[in-house]
Amino acid sequence: MIVGQRKSLQELQEMLTGYKKILLAGCDTCVAESACGGRRETAELAAALQLAFQMAGREAELKETSVDRQCIQEFLVDVVAAAQDVDAVLSLACGAGVQALAARLEKIPVFPALNTMFLGETAERGVWLENCRGCGDCQLGYTGGICPISRCAKRLLNGPCGGASNGLCEINMAHAYDPPVPCAWEQICNRLQSLGELERLYTVKPSMDWSKAGAGGPRRVVRPDQRL
Amino acid sequence: MKPKPEVVVLACTQAVPQPSALRQALQEVGLSGHIIQEPCSSKVEAFHLLRILAKGADLVWVVGCPEQYCQLAEGSTRMGFRVAHAQSYLAELGLETARLGFSRVAAGNPEGLAAVAAEIQQRRKDLPPNPARPRPAA
Repeated sequence: MIVGQRKSLQELQEMLTGYKKILLAGCDTCVAESACGGRRETAELAAALQLAFQMAGREAELKETSVDRQCIQEFLVDVVAAAQDVDAVLSLACGAGVQALAARLEKIPVFPALNTMFLGETAERGVWLENCRGCGDCQLGYTGGICPISRCAKRLLNGPCGGASNGLCEINMAHAYDPPVPCAWEQICNRLQSLGELERLYTVKPSMDWSKAGAGGPRRVVRPDQRL
Repeated sequence: MKPKPEVVVLACTQAVPQPSALRQALQEVGLSGHIIQEPCSSKVEAFHLLRILAKGADLVWVVGCPEQYCQLAEGSTRMGFRVAHAQSYLAELGLETARLGFSRVAAGNPEGLAAVAAEIQQRRKDLPPNPARPRPAA
């Protein structure tokens, strides 16, 4: 799931300066699960911006809509239709959704309401943790299902750095994280031990192929069998 | 045009089965707030609270059950979280967070309702008019 965070109301107001009729477009999948861009958050943001504009004595007409996925063309039809009579769109989708919508609205600016953060997991209610960086060369089979690239602060691939204390990463000394950040490599070792597969780590892995992580330019996946 | 109510109360129907009792308690402290019945206080969303303020209310209040009596188990607890969440928007906007409040009262407790009404009345008295009230159409 893609996890995002709403931009500040101040930043959003500045972004929308000069636009009177604004459509707020929510996305009801990933960012709804991470409670920042779904139908409910779209309604909240519209009401909050209405309050902000009224406080500033600014005239604005805000409309709301929401679709299941802004990153898929077929789902965008309704948003594109709703956007035809507005001056600007404020999208509460992830960066992929914002771009997909912008590509279909040639004459209408589309602004992001969120900062797209990471691919993550809902660890508990109200807590989302980064656990995938989309590196294109998944190491989870080697590391017992725990990703050292996203969950180790140093992105180490060959065991722990030695800075951990009581199972916690040393970055907890610099900042009070709630919940604290565990040492990913200690988790990997414990997990492999409980699976009886600790010897897996004795295998010397070849270097990671970072070209698949975006170092080789924008990535794409093409499936001929899926194309029309 | 009908004047907008200054105080809007969203009341859980389990906590306040008779809105007339709450209306009377409010009238006794000199308030004529608008009461909206909710099936549970947890049905009140942050955007409801913000929208009511954007419509011009000075104060929005939610009345729910005491947490241990909530028929939806954690509905009343969630209501408290949602009011706090809506207050965080007000804080970001520079509006008084006190424009949103909540109380928990058990059904069939006239003294409790009177205390809620007194608290709402005091809060209303302490607040200046809502600066985000929409301007009347020219």
